[in-house]
Amino acid sequence: MGSSSGQSSNYDLSFKILLIGDSAVGKSSLLVSFISNSVEDLSPTIGVDFKIKQLTVGGKKLKLTIWDTAGQERFRTLTSSYYRGAQGIILVYDVTRRDTFTNLSDVWAKEVELYSTNQHCVKMLVGNKVDIDSERVVSREEGIALAKELGCLFLECSAKTRENVEQCFEELALKIMEVPSLLEEGSTLVKRNILKQKPEYQAPSNGGCCS
Amino acid sequence: MVKKRVPEWLNSSLWSSSTSNEDDHRLSVAVQPPPSSTTTTTSQQSNNNNHNHIHTSKEAEVVVEAEAEAEIETHAPAGPSAEDISRQAQLLSEISKKVVNMRELRRIASQGIPDTAGIRSTVWKLLLGYLPPDRSLWPSEMAKKRSQYKQFKDELLMNPSEVTRRMDKFKSCEKDDSKCESRCLLSRSEITHGEHPLSLGKTSIWNQFFQDTEIIEQIDRDVKRTHPDMHFFSGNLPFAKSNQEALKNILIVFAKLNPGIRYVQGMNEILAPLFYVFRNDPDEEYAASAEADTFFCFVELLSGFRDHFCQQLDNSVVGIRSTITKLSQLLKEHDEELWRHLEVTTKVNPQFYAFRWITLLLTQEFNFADSLHIWDTLLSDLDGPLETLLRVCCAMLILIRRRLLAGDFTSNLKLLQNYPPTNISHLLYVANKLRVFFQERIRNMPDEPKLCNLYQQDGQSQI
Repeated sequence: MGSSSGQSSNYDLSFKILLIGDSAVGKSSLLVSFISNSVEDLSPTIGVDFKIKQLTVGGKKLKLTIWDTAGQERFRTLTSSYYRGAQGIILVYDVTRRDTFTNLSDVWAKEVELYSTNQHCVKMLVGNKVDIDSERVVSREEGIALAKELGCLFLECSAKTRENVEQCFEELALKIMEVPSLLEEGSTLVKRNILKQKPEYQAPSNGGCCS
Repeated sequence: MVKKRVPEWLNSSLWSSSTSNEDDHRLSVAVQPPPSSTTTTTSQQSNNNNHNHIHTSKEAEVVVEAEAEAEIETHAPAGPSAEDISRQAQLLSEISKKVVNMRELRRIASQGIPDTAGIRSTVWKLLLGYLPPDRSLWPSEMAKKRSQYKQFKDELLMNPSEVTRRMDKFKSCEKDDSKCESRCLLSRSEITHGEHPLSLGKTSIWNQFFQDTEIIEQIDRDVKRTHPDMHFFSGNLPFAKSNQEALKNILIVFAKLNPGIRYVQGMNEILAPLFYVFRNDPDEEYAASAEADTFFCFVELLSGFRDHFCQQLDNSVVGIRSTITKLSQLLKEHDEELWRHLEVTTKVNPQFYAFRWITLLLTQEFNFADSLHIWDTLLSDLDGPLETLLRVCCAMLILIRRRLLAGDFTSNLKLLQNYPPTNISHLLYVANKLRVFFQERIRNMPDEPKLCNLYQQDGQSQI
C-alpha cells in the first residue's frame, strides 16, 4: 500500500467525488469494484472511507479522490464536512429496495443542496444491484425520471458483476470536465500539489517504513 | 517552543521500523504474543509500569532498546512462550480463588490474555462486572441474568398480533374467568380501534411495530455484513446462521430497551468480539448461554461509550466530536510536531480516521485476534476503557510518525484509514508509556527535564 504522493505529478487533473445514499445500497461495493476490479463482501462503512483512483478519460490523466460515506441517518451530522469542495456527487440507490430510491429525493438531494459548496457540482444517480433482476422493484424508467427531475446523470449498474461500474465514474468525470469552473478547480488542485512537492515527499518508498 | 515538547524516545527509529517486517507474520504474532527469551526484560519493565514506577527518560531508552531486540525476535515462529504460560497460570489461579482480587486480575490481564482454555471469556465477564468477584455467587447471579434476558426476549421479540392476542385473552379473562376457561371455540379476536394495523394513532402497537421493522431490517442487513471474512459470523452454514441470529436478537433487545439510542451502525462491530469470545468458551454450559451473557456485557461496555452513538450529543461535551478533540489534544501534548503536521500542515481532520477508531473500539483497524488483544487492555486498565482507548489511538499515531511527517494529506489519510500491521504488544507498551511520561512530565513541570529537540533529526537524516 505505497504512498500515493510519489505519483502526484503523473496526472493532469484532480477531482473530488462523493458517494452518498442509504445504508447497504452498495456504495462501498461500487467503489471497491471500481478501484480494485474485485468483488468482496464488506462491513458497513462507519464514518468515511477514502480512496484514490487514477484513470485516463478523454485523453486526460485524472486522479479521482473518492469519499465513501456511511449511509445511516445517525452519521449525517458528521458527513456535512465531506461535501466541501466535491466536484462530483454520486447518489446511489438499490433497485431492489424502493425506500432507498424515494430517500434520494426525500433526503439525499436535500443534503446535497444544503452542504455542497460547489454550485456547478455534477450529480449522478446510480441504481445498483441490477444483477438481481428478479427482485427489482424500481424500474429503469422511474430512475431516469427522477434523474431528470433532480438534474442528474443516470446509470444502472451492478457492483457484483461490474456491469457499468467504470462507466459511472468515467461519465461523471467527463461531465465534470465539460464544466469550465470545475475544470479550473481540478487543475488548480494539481498545480498546488506540484508546488507543495518537496524532495522528501518521494522518500517513503525507500524509507524502510512502507508496508 | 514547539520543538522542545517531544521527548527523545518518540523519535527512536524503532517506532517506524517495528511495523515494516510484520506483515507476513501478522497472524502468528497476533495469536502468540512475543516469545519469552527476550521479552522477559520487557515484561518485567511493563510490570514495573503497572506498579506505577516512573521511569526517567534514560531508563526509558534502555527499555526501548530492549524492546527493539524483542521486536526482532518476534518474527521467529514460536509456540506459546514461557511468559504466556506463566500468565495463563497466574490468571487461572486468580480466577480460581474464592474471591477474585480484581486489582491483581486487572494487572495481569492488561498485558494480554492467552487465547487458550476459555480464560478470556471468564476474565472479560469479571472485568465487565457481569460476574461478581465472589465465586460462590456466580451460579445464582448467572441464572438470574440469563432468565432475565429470556424474559426480555419473550416480551420484546414478540410480534404485534401476539401482543394483541394476549391482551385480548387477558381482557376477556378479566371480564369473565369462568367463561374464558370453559370456552372451546376459538373466537375471532376483537381488535380495538387503536390497535388495528391500519390505525394511524402514534401509540398504536402497530405503529411502533412498523418503526421497529425498519430497525430490525437494518440490524439484519448489518449482522449479515459483520466480519464477512470469518466463518464464525458469515456464510450459510448453520453455525454462522445461529450466531447471526444471536447477534440480531441482542441488538433488537438493546434497541427496544434503549429507545433514545436504538440501533446505530457499528454496534454490531462492538458486539462481535464479546459474542465470539463467550460462544467459544470450552465450558459447554457457558457457551450455550453466550447470547444472554453477551447481552449484559455489551450493555456494560457500551455504557462507557453510548454517548458516541447518540446523534443528539454529537456537539456536546460527551459526544463523539468531543472525544475526537480529546485525542487530538493528547497527541498535541505528547508530540506537538506530529499534531501540527497532521492538523495544520496537511489538514487531516482527525474525524476522518478517528471517528471509526473510537466508535468501533479499534475493531476494524487490526485483524480479529489483534483486536481481542487490544480489548484485553481496554477492559482491564484501571483508567477505564475510554482513557485507555485514547492512549492506544495516540500511540498508533506516534508509532507511524515518521511516515506521517513525510506524507501529504492524501498519503496520510490513506495510511490512517488503512493502519499498517503492527505488533500489538508493542503498541500497547508504547500506549502505556504515554501515561508514564505524562505523569513524569506533570511531576517535573518546572524544568521540563530531558525533553530534547528531535525536530532537526527528523525529516532529513532519517527518511
